[in-house]
Amino acid sequence: MKFLINPNRFIKFSDLVFKPLICLSAIFLLIGIVFAFFLSPNDYQQGATVRIMYIHVPAAWIAVLTFLIMTLYSIIGLAFKINFSFIINSAIAPIGAIFTLICIVTGSLWGKPMWGTWWVWDARLTSVAILFLLYLIIIFLKNSITNINVSEKITAVLIIVGSINLPIIKFSVDWWNTLHQPASISKLSSPSIDPSMLRPLVIMTIALMLLAIVIGIIRIKAEILKRKLR
Amino acid sequence: MSSFNSILGVFLRESKIHYRSFFHILSIFLFFILSIIIFVFAVGSNKELFNQIGVGIIWTIILLSNTLSIKKFFQNDFDDNSLIIIHMSGLSYEIIALIKMLTIWMFLQAPFFIILPIAFLLLEMQFDNLKIVYLSFLIGSVIITCISAISGSMNLLNKKNFSIGGLIIMIFSIPVIIFGVNIVNVSNNIEIIKAQINILLGIMFFFLAISPWASGLCIKISLQNK
Repeated sequence: MKFLINPNRFIKFSDLVFKPLICLSAIFLLIGIVFAFFLSPNDYQQGATVRIMYIHVPAAWIAVLTFLIMTLYSIIGLAFKINFSFIINSAIAPIGAIFTLICIVTGSLWGKPMWGTWWVWDARLTSVAILFLLYLIIIFLKNSITNINVSEKITAVLIIVGSINLPIIKFSVDWWNTLHQPASISKLSSPSIDPSMLRPLVIMTIALMLLAIVIGIIRIKAEILKRKLR
Repeated sequence: MSSFNSILGVFLRESKIHYRSFFHILSIFLFFILSIIIFVFAVGSNKELFNQIGVGIIWTIILLSNTLSIKKFFQNDFDDNSLIIIHMSGLSYEIIALIKMLTIWMFLQAPFFIILPIAFLLLEMQFDNLKIVYLSFLIGSVIITCISAISGSMNLLNKKNFSIGGLIIMIFSIPVIIFGVNIVNVSNNIEIIKAQINILLGIMFFFLAISPWASGLCIKISLQNK
């Protein structure tokens, strides 16, 4: 597992898995799209709009997961003085921001026909919007300090402080009465979603996660090379 | 005993600095009053409307005037190297940050207790709510001070983008605004008030725990790379 904290090992490992990952993500994305559009049933209330879920939910999971990874790497980087974790932080922050934006946009596209409004100020939506703004502030703060040693460490502190938002996002649907539905898959009892819809959702989640990992590998490698040039 | 003496010394020094920069403090409160007057002109003098949204206006402007005072936290001491000298007297950066937060709260937040009734007068609001606003402000001001300390220490070496400090304060004080303003809207039910106060207290203790560590770490990083 050394490749997770060592840049040279990471480059070696990523060269090994990069092409298989691209093939796998393409295959999964293809199967997932076929499943999502043709092989899954319409919802008995929502009709065909339920298919937005196959983008919306994985994007949300990836957005939160990216922030979680950044938090873990910030703690590791500050505690054990491992510079590679800051490289990863600055490489994957834009990915998280983009997936949060995808989640918000698809959510409002789904909300208009179902709830009758593009946006409501309910706890889940607000906390995800704050997550998006946090991503933007992290990226801005990193770019506005010229000394790179300072900027990456201070950004790591900001990420750790900002990670209080993650449990709020996760539990907002349980703590408050929200228009957004409570969790139906990531809970302790069995998922309250029909298998015919769960299957494409899982495939799309794997596909989008692989896609995010592929983009992440490209960005991390570029970041490593950029620092080597300096 | 010697560490207590140095804590007291730093505290007195900070107080003296704030006392001498009296007009800067005064200008922040002038900003507060002026913003409220501008708000009245922008919305129009409508008593019923202000009774509904007045507390929200006051909280928003308190937050905005706090973004003006970020530079007062560490920037001057950082630029003239006083922070290193204070640190050499045996105080850790976390303690320094804590003392600074205390003095900033005393000199920049506590005067709001005198100005809040004036704001109530200007907005023609009912004075029944003042007690609850005082209570929520007592807790909320501590939280805002903690967040300002974090934001101020993060931007010590930031010479390019001055507005990012204000952004950091604003994004972390969203929960304070939500619960601080909400207290007044439910003011007839004592149980809900208690719940909101408890949530605010929880946020306050969280930030009291985290902000000396975060600002101390940021000061240390900035000093190492100055």
